[in-house]
Amino acid sequence: MSTAGSVRSDGATGYGPPSSAGAPATPNEPPPARQRTRIFRWRGLLPLALGLGLMYAAWALFGERVVRDTLREAGTKALGTQLDIAQVVIDELHTTVELRGIALADPFDVHRNLLEAKLLRVELEPDPLLEKKLVLRRLSIGEVRTGTQRATPARPVTGGGFAPSMLREMDRWAKQFDVPLLSLTPVDTIRAIVLDPTQLASVRAALALVTRADSVRGTLEQSYRSLRLQETLDSAQALLTRLQGANLRALGVTGGRTALADTRRAVARVDSARRRVEALATAARTAADTLQLALRSVDDARRADYAFARGLLKLPSFDAPNMGAALFGKVTIDRFQQALYWTTLARQYAPPGLLPKESDGPKRLRRAGSTVHFAKAMAYPRFLLRRGDVSVTVSDGPARGTYALAATDVTTEPALVGRPTMFALRRSAKGEGRVDSLRVTGMLDHVSAHPRDVITASVSGVRLPSLPLPVLPYKAEPGRGTTEMRLALEGDRVAAHWSLASGTLTWREDSSRVRALNAMESLVARLLTGIGVLEIDAELNGPVRSPKLSVRSNLDRVIADRLRAVAGEQVLAAEARVRTQVDRLVEEKTAPIKTRIADLRAETDRRLADARAKLDTQKQKLDAQVKTLTGGLVGLPKLPGN
Amino acid sequence: MLALLKLLQSLVKTLHSDGTPAQIALGAALGAALGLTPIANVHNLVILFLLAVLNVSFGAGILAWGVFVPIAFMLDPLFDQLGHWLLTGVPALRPLWTTWDNLPGLALTNFNNTVVLGSVVGWLVLFLPIYFAIRLAVVRYRATIGERVRQSHFYRVLSASQLYNVYRWFSP
Repeated sequence: MSTAGSVRSDGATGYGPPSSAGAPATPNEPPPARQRTRIFRWRGLLPLALGLGLMYAAWALFGERVVRDTLREAGTKALGTQLDIAQVVIDELHTTVELRGIALADPFDVHRNLLEAKLLRVELEPDPLLEKKLVLRRLSIGEVRTGTQRATPARPVTGGGFAPSMLREMDRWAKQFDVPLLSLTPVDTIRAIVLDPTQLASVRAALALVTRADSVRGTLEQSYRSLRLQETLDSAQALLTRLQGANLRALGVTGGRTALADTRRAVARVDSARRRVEALATAARTAADTLQLALRSVDDARRADYAFARGLLKLPSFDAPNMGAALFGKVTIDRFQQALYWTTLARQYAPPGLLPKESDGPKRLRRAGSTVHFAKAMAYPRFLLRRGDVSVTVSDGPARGTYALAATDVTTEPALVGRPTMFALRRSAKGEGRVDSLRVTGMLDHVSAHPRDVITASVSGVRLPSLPLPVLPYKAEPGRGTTEMRLALEGDRVAAHWSLASGTLTWREDSSRVRALNAMESLVARLLTGIGVLEIDAELNGPVRSPKLSVRSNLDRVIADRLRAVAGEQVLAAEARVRTQVDRLVEEKTAPIKTRIADLRAETDRRLADARAKLDTQKQKLDAQVKTLTGGLVGLPKLPGN
Repeated sequence: MLALLKLLQSLVKTLHSDGTPAQIALGAALGAALGLTPIANVHNLVILFLLAVLNVSFGAGILAWGVFVPIAFMLDPLFDQLGHWLLTGVPALRPLWTTWDNLPGLALTNFNNTVVLGSVVGWLVLFLPIYFAIRLAVVRYRATIGERVRQSHFYRVLSASQLYNVYRWFSP
């Protein structure tokens, strides 16, 4: 190809030395015509087309595999648990995608699959694809199984991203609950209590009170000194000494007037000092009362210390509410944790508002960066499933049967859609399978700035999963029963309720934890295995980060009463020892405080009484002096308090 | 090593092609986009198309791609910051990005990714400096040691290869 500024390859080069250096051009030869450079090189289209053809061939050969791997990786990262996809089939003409052999591991149990589906087929609307948006026209899922065992344990999702960090956050969240321990170890073998006194709230309060009492004492001392009583008394005494024996005749009119004025000023100073003394007395009384009150709060803190010290003993509280948490607290937290995890995930992927949202960029050799999504009113959201009606066939497990799942307005930008996401799952056919009825409904309202999520699930006539007892090598097998769950997230507050009821409770030895039982454990085991009804009622309320958990069950009272009767004496003795120990420690610290407060009160009272007496005496003397000077015609007003 | 040899081969061929310095520089400036920006993006298809159909040095473009890839890795943090600033730090540009992100076709450009946008803007800023620097370098090379290299055994072996003929399809 030739271009401007170039010559043919068989001739001289355009930039090389001339063929005959220094020789002038032949005058007869016309100067070489300047060729115009062509802008386009259409011949280049040929290899370009070839390249595109190769790209298409590569897509045809490897495209679906690449998409499958990408989906697998992105799904695993987004959901925080391993997602396997056996095959992806893409029909570009009909904009449909089929995912085959899907298995989603349970994020809370690596040996189980939360869900397996043989086929998932989505029909996409083509236009939004040009905007990199997925609007699903139709979604169908076939042959779904839940709770199946995995052949190989799921790999933990270790990377960054929201879901793995959320999973870790959920672990921390679950650990915050102080599930009481139900220790059935004989009380006399319980490890000796070793208390660091400063662990006790009352001791800490007492130590703080010492500092406070010292500070109050210092303040009162300072206030007393600032009364400057001695100066006032000395000044009055000096005046009295100066005027001793003087009378109006000896002083004269002017001298008498001056003496009278001096005496009245001295009286005024004494009065002022007396008022200051009374004010100080009031302040001192208040301060002493406050210290006394604080001392009472130390006693209040002692009650909490009893419970704390008893906790160090690993003794159970035989109160029924604690018993419920000790027996089924872990199971309950697991249920709430899972419900909360999925709801929080939904909030993350469907946040309210139309502000730009950042997410991690696509994985590549180079830096991924972050991708900012700009939502626009009256436009497609990034993902939207207008309505999905899915028939789910659970072919194995306790929930075997056919279910109908309907979901509307599942989207990543709820503010664009303007309606909350709703979904419902129910049994579509009666008389088959092992579940009498199942109904799950949910509403994820992220349309406004204050998100609200409500999920309710109720299952009856289902074989309930076994519940391992943390304290004994036994599992409760509730058999067929009813379970209900309601989870409501309002902003950052959670209100959840879970209940389980079964009339066919049986108990099975947990072979993996089987061991010899001590007397108390045997007693509880006999007690439990005689109970054939199970009712659990759990509630979770408060801020999502630190909600309050309460668990009740029909076993609580039975076990609590029985344990109290059998182990009562030993437990009471141990508790008494703890109380004595706490009392001794607290007394050690509070006794000096009590003495200090009493001393402070007595010392202040004594000093102020002394001050009052001195002032009163001086006042009387001054009064007498005035009478002497005026011949008894003018008296002094009485001092306040007299 | 092979990649380095290929680069060297490409460099020599380009420098001794019939192309003018301007054509080589333009090809290199276009090819820099392939190296500076993440390759699997729509705008790079446009760049490839331009390299193929414009009468510029295709070889220089491919050479620039190889040369600018490591530079891009080094500049990625900068591109990321630049892209982030443009996407989120300039409120006046938000309507543009919102429209861009919601327009059929344009949304596929991935310009809402900080590294993609930052590197494309970075490449556009560097386009003219790359062009002028390479044009000057080619002119200097040809005026100094170019002819000696052309007469060398190495160059003759290189230009006799079959690959060279394929390469000449794109060589201006």
